[in-house]
Amino acid sequence: VSSVPGLQADCEELLGAFQQADTVRFERFAELWRERRFHTIFYGRIRALERNKVTKKTLELAQQYFLPPYTFQIRVGALYLLYGLYSTQLCQPKQKIRIALKDWPEIQRFQQDLINSQHYDAAYIFRTLRLARAFHFTAMPKLLNYRTKKKIPENEFKEEFKDPSNRVNTLITNDVLEELMNIHDHYQKMKCVISADKSQPDKALSLIKDDFVVTLKDITLEHQEWQKNRMKLFLNAKETDEKSNRKEEGTLLESEGSERANALARIKYRSYSAVVEASKSRRHRQVKLESSESGTNCGKSPSRSKKNSRRPQPARRRDSLE
Amino acid sequence: QESHAVGKRPHNPTDLVAEGDLLLTLSIFYPVIFQKHKDHKPNQTVLVLGSQKLTELRDSISCVSDLQIGGEFSSQPDQAPEHISKDLYKSAFFYFEGIFYNDKRYPECRDLSRTIIEWSESHDRGYGNLQSVKMEDYTFNDLSLKIGFPYLFCHQGNCEHIIIITDIRLVHHDDCLDRNLYPLLIKKHWLCTRKCFVCKMYTARWVTNKDSLAPEDPCFFCDVCFRMLHYDAEGNKLGEFLAYPYVDPGIFN
Repeated sequence: VSSVPGLQADCEELLGAFQQADTVRFERFAELWRERRFHTIFYGRIRALERNKVTKKTLELAQQYFLPPYTFQIRVGALYLLYGLYSTQLCQPKQKIRIALKDWPEIQRFQQDLINSQHYDAAYIFRTLRLARAFHFTAMPKLLNYRTKKKIPENEFKEEFKDPSNRVNTLITNDVLEELMNIHDHYQKMKCVISADKSQPDKALSLIKDDFVVTLKDITLEHQEWQKNRMKLFLNAKETDEKSNRKEEGTLLESEGSERANALARIKYRSYSAVVEASKSRRHRQVKLESSESGTNCGKSPSRSKKNSRRPQPARRRDSLE
Repeated sequence: QESHAVGKRPHNPTDLVAEGDLLLTLSIFYPVIFQKHKDHKPNQTVLVLGSQKLTELRDSISCVSDLQIGGEFSSQPDQAPEHISKDLYKSAFFYFEGIFYNDKRYPECRDLSRTIIEWSESHDRGYGNLQSVKMEDYTFNDLSLKIGFPYLFCHQGNCEHIIIITDIRLVHHDDCLDRNLYPLLIKKHWLCTRKCFVCKMYTARWVTNKDSLAPEDPCFFCDVCFRMLHYDAEGNKLGEFLAYPYVDPGIFN
């Protein structure tokens, strides 16, 4: 069964707005949630089986934003989103949020970060979820199902939500730099010990650059700066791109639709414009050329598209694994 | 799906599922897979506790091959068959991660996996060290398992079911906490039952071969139609035929 249509877009819109708001206060998130009447996302599923399935998928989607590589703000937003979704769901008993064993230490670290940074509202929300027993502690993050899918859709999450992947930073961490410094100092001291002049190493022993650790640190910082700037540029470009794209898209769609209409109109015009003039004796019954552009043409296309969308869905198997 | 047992608590507090116990979700597949099952293979979904023995799962698997009654009964249709296959052929094994867990609870149980182990050891087939142990000595907590990996359950000598573990998680407050209800069946495939050729109403209980009175071979009958067609008022056999009791796979619906 495919993903819930529109779900990802809605969640990303909400999280995007939260990111824009540039705060991690729950108050702000709650405002955004209420503005959108987000709780209505669960409406419209009448049968319990479907309700359970959709709720599970909704929680599964939201849960993904709660873990790395997403930025701190997005992760807090995801926490609030999970809280909102868990509380407002219509299933009884409530569908749970799955947390895999491998992710649990990271989440604990996150919780500790929240407390250390004094984001007590977020920490409280998390604690509330724990007390409400909202979590299933699982071995694997995704619940398996065994339908043979034609294609497994790869979730493409927004780049703006993610922390820029910084492999240089993960390799050259503060710990690593400190250790390198220590080793370097130790190495220097060793060289001194075996040299003639105890205060400095022999010239013959100078095989490496003395300040290489500092240089390494500088290079890493430079890289970080560069990446930040690049990200900013990329985002700016994307924004202006999107705006112009949207306009383009609009006119493109417009032109596609109107192209057809135009073509039809042209054909009709050609066939009907050749109006036979009535003979003089029947002058009062001249054939009048009526324009049909606003009439049946528009009437036809919408109904045809409606027909296509109402094509019967492939018969749902009675005994699905989900 | 699980709604029937959700939140259940036992009468006897010693039957309460312990906190920290594991809950495994297993899919046990139907042995014969037809072309029509290409997209969705029929299976049953069972919840089992980590602390439960493998034998408890074995006993809970319902397969129609266990109910087969061997023998030809055209001459004595009223004779109640003595044993179903489940009683006669008690051997079974599970295969998880290179180890065969054989049911050895009864004296009649044989090591069905021996053939496989001998075959694998006879030449260097690259299967490593396959072992055979007793099913009743192990719980699920003792096993190393892969989620989503196909394992095997074999009974009746050659009836094989693929088993896949689809989920493992900690037991939750909202789950059914009555130990006696586990292994808990939460989903079952639905099979079409074969109906009697004559009345088309009742499920077939007999199948005949080389039947001079039947239009096809094999032909399926419900009990009433079978007797009415093949025996006279005194119970004498009419015509030539071989008759076997038939157990329909849909019997568990």
